Amino acid sequence: MDFSTLETLRLKHPAWRLLVAGNASLIASFLHRVFVASNARAIPQRELVLRLEDHLHALREQRGETAFPRAASIYLDEWAADSAGWLRKFYPPDTDEPHFDLTPAAERALRWLSQLTEQPFVGTESRLLTVFHLLQEMTEGTEPDPGARLAELERRKAELEAEMARVRAGHLDLLDESALKDRFQQMSDTARGLLSDFRALEDSFHALDRRVRERIATWEGTRGELLETVLGERDAISGSDQGRSFRAFWDFLMSPERKDVLTKNLERILAHPAIQSLQPDPRLLRIHFDWLEAGEHTQRTVARLSGQLRRFLDDRVWWENRRILQVLRGIEKHALALRASPPEGPFLELDELAPTLDLPLERPLYSPPSRSQMADEEVLEATEDVPSDALFNLAYIDKTRLRSNVRQALQDREQVSLADLVRSHPLEHGLAELVVYLSLASEDRKASVDESRTQELFWTDARGLPRRATLPLVLFLR
Amino acid sequence: MSHVAEAPDALSLVVVSLLKGVVYREESPSLWQSLLKLHARVSDQVSVLGLGLALDEPEGYAFLRQRAEGEGTSELPRLIARRQLGYGLSLLLALLRKRLADADAAAGGTRLVMRRHELQELVRLFLPEGTNEVRWVERVNQDIERAVGMGFLKPLGEEDTFEVRRILKAFVTAHCLEGLEQRLAAYHAQLIEEQGGRE
Repeated sequence: MDFSTLETLRLKHPAWRLLVAGNASLIASFLHRVFVASNARAIPQRELVLRLEDHLHALREQRGETAFPRAASIYLDEWAADSAGWLRKFYPPDTDEPHFDLTPAAERALRWLSQLTEQPFVGTESRLLTVFHLLQEMTEGTEPDPGARLAELERRKAELEAEMARVRAGHLDLLDESALKDRFQQMSDTARGLLSDFRALEDSFHALDRRVRERIATWEGTRGELLETVLGERDAISGSDQGRSFRAFWDFLMSPERKDVLTKNLERILAHPAIQSLQPDPRLLRIHFDWLEAGEHTQRTVARLSGQLRRFLDDRVWWENRRILQVLRGIEKHALALRASPPEGPFLELDELAPTLDLPLERPLYSPPSRSQMADEEVLEATEDVPSDALFNLAYIDKTRLRSNVRQALQDREQVSLADLVRSHPLEHGLAELVVYLSLASEDRKASVDESRTQELFWTDARGLPRRATLPLVLFLR
Repeated sequence: MSHVAEAPDALSLVVVSLLKGVVYREESPSLWQSLLKLHARVSDQVSVLGLGLALDEPEGYAFLRQRAEGEGTSELPRLIARRQLGYGLSLLLALLRKRLADADAAAGGTRLVMRRHELQELVRLFLPEGTNEVRWVERVNQDIERAVGMGFLKPLGEEDTFEVRRILKAFVTAHCLEGLEQRLAAYHAQLIEEQGGRE
């Protein structure tokens, strides 16, 4: 803990950086609520943004509109940037949306913070006992002499018998309240600590994977030598102290009797009046399910990492990748020299990804565009209350279809107004569909909304009644 | 589940899906399972059309390939079109292939995700330093759209974010890049000669 180490830590370690961040209370409170309190591992970006917006909204109500002026998504990106390192942003294998998880460093900062406030009661006895037990286990576990081992077992047997005799005589030693609370405190600390250990474990597996890949990428020797060292490293994941301990923990937890015992004991202890007075976190009751979940997550990560590594080491892939990096150096060199006068004409020739199937009969026949005849009909203002929840219950609106309507319309002209679109592609889901068009326009940087001009849209609703809407002029541009 | 009743349907489903495009394990796990089970029969079926099944199990994708002449089928009309790509798009795909190789060597995620501006940066170095930046951005965007159309880039939910699909590895191979390098080298030599001649 010398000055320079601490100075580096203060500048580099995400946990410390979190503690000294200007809006540390915002970050810590939010991350704690979302990730730690609910033991969530990966949260989709959209959900996290919504939750942060809620959080910010609540804070702004307390502290005035000007507090925390930026948008939720900007905060999140900032917290996930390398300069912060509190969130890990990644794309899980089966989804298109980025997900976020807490980094182990941020979690440590959160735990330290929570220890500052939490601790209504400091028990020391249970810790002393833990130290005793651990020492005992270690001595016994390393005792090679059977005689000494037996003597120890005999001593314990005598102790047990003495205790049984006392109980038969009607003397029961019960834990008093403070001893009970003391143990409970330690139990729940350890139980929650386990959860953050999983995160740290996963992180160190990632780090191991990174190291191996770096080594492969910069390898100069023969492939045989590489395989030798790398296979050593691969065993290192499951063979490391951490890996083995995790394995043992996992086997222990997976045994059904153990799970039953855990459930029963947790229920009994949490129902005890002395513990009830501590107002324990009810989620403690299902902490072993949380362990299972977190452990499974870690298992999956380890399996995925070793699968990828194996694939990467595959003979064919390995040579192909090397060759490609080599060839690309040449390509880049030439391309750089040619950039003043880039070549014309075709270069690469690739097969398409699938056969081109041309099925003439699949094409829709020409159908004359339906002309809406609205002129003579009087359009009535809606008088009855339209139940707005119908809007939310509406059928799913296929955004891609609408987008392709827009694209199609733009094929032969430079711009198209929303009114034109609706004329050529009548609304099928009424207002809701219109809203989706508007959201398309707002996402599309090339679309414009002119507030000073208006356009009228007409459609027929599900009951066959004509509808009309007046909107600012919305234009989609090519 | 009787095997006899299930098989014909599953086979048709697999073949039709393959005819429509690449089948990815992650996108349709159950289809993938049938494909693994039936791949020998699928190969038989599509060979009638002069096609072959390319199945990469570790990478998790499968697609149909035009079988070269002399591979038993004589002179069938091509079902799979061959596309000629312009210089910009070729360069973009080559550089993406390199990024995939780099990403494989670098770190944990299986997925290479890039933002639009990163894609633009990738080729920017190799484009003429014109005054009209808008024009080259437009051109690069067109190439990006084409790569999306060909199925090598996949737009993700987040705006202007693309996944570089690993199927690119099956198409932009070392062999095909070598061809690109040779053509570039030849063009380069020709250019030097022309310039030398003028001076």
